[in-house]
Amino acid sequence: MRPVAISVDTPEVSRDLAQKAGYTFPILSDPDAAVIRRYHILHPAGGPDGHDIARPAEFLVDSSKIVRWSNFTEDVRVRARADEMLAAARQLR
Amino acid sequence: MPEATEVRKNATPWGGLLFAIAAIACNLAFFVRFPLQGMLPWLSLLFAVVAIIFLVAGLKRAFGQPHAYRGKVPSVVLTAIGLVLVGLTGFAFVSARKLPSAATAPQVGQRVPAFTLSDTSAKPVSLDQLLAASTATSSQPQAPAPKAVLLIFYRGYW
Repeated sequence: MRPVAISVDTPEVSRDLAQKAGYTFPILSDPDAAVIRRYHILHPAGGPDGHDIARPAEFLVDSSKIVRWSNFTEDVRVRARADEMLAAARQLR
Repeated sequence: MPEATEVRKNATPWGGLLFAIAAIACNLAFFVRFPLQGMLPWLSLLFAVVAIIFLVAGLKRAFGQPHAYRGKVPSVVLTAIGLVLVGLTGFAFVSARKLPSAATAPQVGQRVPAFTLSDTSAKPVSLDQLLAASTATSSQPQAPAPKAVLLIFYRGYW
């Protein structure tokens, strides 16, 4: 399973995050929230300065691009935990 | 029944303050990922409600039974601090849950839209590439095609 993080942050901001946190998985930038809109997970004006951002969402997508597991939190303080996501990935055969 | 000869300390407002601190402290615990994390928002509300009950009871004792309990001024101060913490807890609860519905997002069994986005080196990366075996680069060895890709959309790093 390959984790990929996506946000409206620019590549520079994401690179800063990856360096500080030591992340080695891909972090992608969707500055105009075009893909976020296409996934219907836009949080209009949800950013700190009122710009559009993504609502938190996790999708486990198989090689046919079919969603096999997803998680949409209702509280930004509660996110999918690593063990939950790994368990979902282990279910795939 | 003998009449109270001693004026007792009023510990109830302190109990209220402790619960108010517990309510707001629940917000710090979100950074620790543990299995019952999903209960924390509700636990914080429960602590806030208990805090209000204690604070009101404390004020009643201080002002309603001044012969039995002392501490009118401390009970008012503790109630004021407690109510600020309860207010912050309520504000955190409401603002953390102001999220749009994801009802129209791709659901289990549905196909997700393809995309191409820039990575941290501003290099375009497509979903197809992510699902395929990666070729060796200077920084990473070749990796076989993954069984799945986990797309994690997040609010951003600020």
